[in-house]
Amino acid sequence: MSLTEDEVIQIFKFIEDSNFDEFNLTMGDLKLVIRKRSGSSPNNEEHVVKLPTEPIMIEEPAIETKERNYEIKGQKIEEKAIETFGEGFVTIKSPMLGTFYRRPDPSAPPYVEVGSLVEENDTVCLIEIMKVFNAVKAEVKGYIDKIFPESGQLVEYGQPLFLVRPYDRIEKKEMRA
Amino acid sequence: MNNISRVLVANRGEIAVRIIKACKDLGIESVAAVSEADKDSMAARMANRVICIGPPRPSESYLRPDTILCAALGTGSDAIHPGYGFLAEQPELAESCRKNNLIFIGPTPENLKQMGNKLLARRMVKRYSIPIIPGSEKVANLREAYRILEKIGLPVLIKAAAGGGGRGIKIVNSFDELKITFETAAAEARTAFGDETLYIERFFPNARHIEVQVAADHFGDVIHLGERDCSLQRRYQKIIEEAPAPSISNELRGKIRKAGVKIAKNMKYENLGTVEFILDQDSNQFFFLEMNTRIQVEHPVTEVISGIDLVREQIRIAANYPLSLSQGDLKLTGHAVECRINAEYSEARFQPCPGRITEWAPPKGDGIRVDSHCYPGYLITPYYDSLISKVITSGGDRLQAIERMQYALQNFFVKGVETTIPFLRFILNQSDYRRGRVNTCWIEKVLGQHSANNTR
Repeated sequence: MSLTEDEVIQIFKFIEDSNFDEFNLTMGDLKLVIRKRSGSSPNNEEHVVKLPTEPIMIEEPAIETKERNYEIKGQKIEEKAIETFGEGFVTIKSPMLGTFYRRPDPSAPPYVEVGSLVEENDTVCLIEIMKVFNAVKAEVKGYIDKIFPESGQLVEYGQPLFLVRPYDRIEKKEMRA
Repeated sequence: MNNISRVLVANRGEIAVRIIKACKDLGIESVAAVSEADKDSMAARMANRVICIGPPRPSESYLRPDTILCAALGTGSDAIHPGYGFLAEQPELAESCRKNNLIFIGPTPENLKQMGNKLLARRMVKRYSIPIIPGSEKVANLREAYRILEKIGLPVLIKAAAGGGGRGIKIVNSFDELKITFETAAAEARTAFGDETLYIERFFPNARHIEVQVAADHFGDVIHLGERDCSLQRRYQKIIEEAPAPSISNELRGKIRKAGVKIAKNMKYENLGTVEFILDQDSNQFFFLEMNTRIQVEHPVTEVISGIDLVREQIRIAANYPLSLSQGDLKLTGHAVECRINAEYSEARFQPCPGRITEWAPPKGDGIRVDSHCYPGYLITPYYDSLISKVITSGGDRLQAIERMQYALQNFFVKGVETTIPFLRFILNQSDYRRGRVNTCWIEKVLGQHSANNTR
């Protein structure tokens, strides 16, 4: 199975106009993950476009450079979202400031518990910012060892949320043993 | 303060430091909202609490009204101080503060909207019978632009309605330039402000920039705190400011101050604001330029000659206190000058110079005040503007203030980054500056001569 370019563009448009911040599609071998910029809803996107950048800034670089910078920085953030912590542990950090939620709604079970095995693309929690919910992905395969904030707590940008024991390291160790 | 006990400072740099100081004076707690790049900043060190709001890029941190609001609510702050720039003049943040029972330390969202669109502001001020710069309404196309030029004469400025603060301005000196300038101005306005609406104003080559500091409380009282002269500009950005405005008659001074108060009163303005005017030195007429609905970078010169802490006054007004003085109580003494010091290399077309400050020794002495967020070892990041310090000097008269400024700049030692200190010293040494024979084009002219001499 495959998707045509037109179909991909249509999916992009659909996501752009929707309230979802993430879209996962698996068709046989094909896996498509589209994620909107963290912390943004269509409304917020509008804000960003409308708001001028700093008035005192001397000269604005051209738009092209801005886009490129953003991409580069986006990657950096992704890399930094997981950080080694202690021996063989990594942390999942909050990608934005907001309220930390462990469940999709109060009656639902939490996304993860201590001891859960998570895959890179699993949602581990939600961060709410002014009624917009953003899914946080594990970005690493492994076991949840610790959950730092309480559900409903304000978390800062970059604050550690989960401590994870990565799966590949465990495997390697066991293989060596 | 009864209803303000904790303020979220939604800004960075020297103004964040300035706001935190005012909070401390008033016995109010402060929360510094910082981007990842500002976690080690002086504001972060001084505030009672620090909260990281996002990555360094302003569009992902300081420019996000939702994040700022969430940070304020989450830290139990009851007010937000927006400083200048960023979200200070955006109605969105002020509006969401109102909806969430938070105090926005600034004017009402209505005030911000009235003055935010420069075309609407012109229209409104005209209704108050204050002279506005001869110009146009919205200019729809190039043909209309030609007609307007024929009517008001050259040179003109093409301005973005959503601009302000010296941004989104282009000069047209001849009919030949109009087409290309008009087209690029529209494109730039669209990308910079998301609104390509343009208007045209006559440009006065021999004008001074004079602005009136106003303060208005919730009870409808409006006063002025004198005026400032900010004629020394480069690319429509202020470089040296002073108060009071030199070499104008007291009659004219009185008229300009009155016009500022009248505008604020008529539009039901609240809190601190600055009404900017252009004074054409050829005709001695003044015209409304725009109003800045926030604390300004150059506010210290007014503080020095009036003895009033403007940021403190701002917070008091926001907390529903009446003005701390009446118009009759205002006493302005002496003269004050401010120089803005940027991390820029003036010899290389004022290229910003980010980097680590290895030595930082600001001047000390009578009549010298330094507002800054820098310290030895501080890293100037490339994400924000290049202002690193403001030096304010005062004296019994203008010459004493200027002499103290020369002394201060000679004794300001910065290493690790290039600064505009040598350039400012060069300007202060010009006899035209000392005599007050300047206009808004003067610095560019002097710079042009300077570089011509250097290449010769």
